[in-house]
Amino acid sequence: MMFMIAFHHLVVGLVAGSGVIMGICAILVWLSGYISNIESSKSTLDRAAYVASIFTMIVIPLAMISGNFSSTNSGGAIFYNKFIFSGIAFGFTASYFFGRMRFGPDVWETPNLAMLQMISAVFSLSSIMILGSIGSKITLGESTLDFLPFWPEFASSIVINQWLSLLLLIVGIISLVISLRSTSVKNLL
Amino acid sequence: MKSRIIVLSAIIMLLMATSSGVANPGGKGDSNRDYTCGGSCHGDPSLSSPSSAVIEVDMPLTAYSSTTTEVSVSISNLDVSDNGLVGIFLLGSKNGNGDHPEDYGWTIVQDPNGGSSNYVEVVSSDNQVSVSWVLLVPDEVGSKEIFVSIHHGSYYNHDNKAFIGETDGIAISIEPIPENYPTLAEGWTSPEERISGDTSTITIRTVNTESLTVNWRLSGESKSHEAVVEMITQQVWEVSLPATLGDTRIEYQMTATMGDFSNTMPWLSMGTSEPYFDGTSLGANLQSISFALIILSFMISLQSWFSPRGVRKTIDNTIEVEESMVNDEKSSISDEAYWSRLVKSEENPGWLWDPVENQWVADPNHSSGGDA
Repeated sequence: MMFMIAFHHLVVGLVAGSGVIMGICAILVWLSGYISNIESSKSTLDRAAYVASIFTMIVIPLAMISGNFSSTNSGGAIFYNKFIFSGIAFGFTASYFFGRMRFGPDVWETPNLAMLQMISAVFSLSSIMILGSIGSKITLGESTLDFLPFWPEFASSIVINQWLSLLLLIVGIISLVISLRSTSVKNLL
Repeated sequence: MKSRIIVLSAIIMLLMATSSGVANPGGKGDSNRDYTCGGSCHGDPSLSSPSSAVIEVDMPLTAYSSTTTEVSVSISNLDVSDNGLVGIFLLGSKNGNGDHPEDYGWTIVQDPNGGSSNYVEVVSSDNQVSVSWVLLVPDEVGSKEIFVSIHHGSYYNHDNKAFIGETDGIAISIEPIPENYPTLAEGWTSPEERISGDTSTITIRTVNTESLTVNWRLSGESKSHEAVVEMITQQVWEVSLPATLGDTRIEYQMTATMGDFSNTMPWLSMGTSEPYFDGTSLGANLQSISFALIILSFMISLQSWFSPRGVRKTIDNTIEVEESMVNDEKSSISDEAYWSRLVKSEENPGWLWDPVENQWVADPNHSSGGDA
């Protein structure tokens, strides 16, 4: 469907944009604990990263849905990898958002939590970069990350049986529920 | 009345849909087709117009029976639609039905797109197209004809017509094969494609062949290389061609030799296909969501692990409220103990004696407590 291709390109641009804002701002907030020059912008950067994480969480599923229905989806391994990295990007983005929502701006005052937030943002940004690179491989046949000597081969993927995937999904839901209950976060929701 | 409007609207919509459903502007794909069943009703004179294209066919006018021959078709002066698609038929007659070359004894060893179809769709470049078929000449000696027909759209095509072009028959004189003429075995066709990275050999069957030489080159290259050929049984050969990746096409040319006589056959080509992949869209979605949930729960657990006491959500004042409730309770308990130790005095109404502090305290229950 031509509409889906155009829509997918639009949404993918939004994912990349918001993901980069979230990643860069989160790194800068974390660095502000060590570099006094950017300490004055800490609050602004923190809010920008927070808002960007919310937006990224909205557009990643839209990108997945539009990509699934666009005619460029040939169902090969490279598309399989794209879905998987979308899930990873969403997981880390949601982790960042959740940490910020749970602890508020004070999250940056605790070194370990600040490090965890930064790691979530960096992994989310990396996953989005890989997603963009895979998309570029599909449409253009090459990517700007091709110069890396250790770039993995995305033409193959580890496929898990659908039933095992379903089991994995149930495990994921259970582990999330346990995490939420054990941290009493349910009171915050 | 309402239902009539709905029915009428549905009929109008269906009638409107038919106008856009007549043609196959995106093509129907390569396949074996008779001319009138070329994937559309374009054979109907009321739905077609003559094409301005010039079709030239180049092939040897004499061929030995059961040997390979090449039909090269060059089409120029094409006026195509914006997708540039041209459908090309290779035909054995102009009958319309039963006009596939195989109905006249020809075998298609390879079509221009690497398959073995008599109808192919190609995209024109600069209003030109050049394609070629490799055929196995019929056994039957005599004269046979080959026809080429094309159909395509046009950029300015308001009537949605098909533009049809066709050649006159090209007569080929089929002569008896010389004794012990080295060539391919009847029925052998070139593999259409190999899986990316596949290094397995190609099996070729021949007749009257003492030795077989195979040269290969990548599509678009002029320099060729000799492949390793091994005879596995009588007239069956295994050829080792290098593995290809991506969308690379590899071309190869066989030269069959018997004694002093060599038969160099046309270049054949073979595409590269993606490795077989059994993953499904549903599986990918399930895996993706699973990973997202597992990562999220793992990170939440880590957050709890690293979370120091006292760091909590700003708006949550539950602990403060609970502490104040406990303090209130404690103070009420201590008040009760205090008032119970005070002793009433008959001599001093309105006053209570505190034996611990050794002092008089005003009785709050006395109407004029402490005023006497």
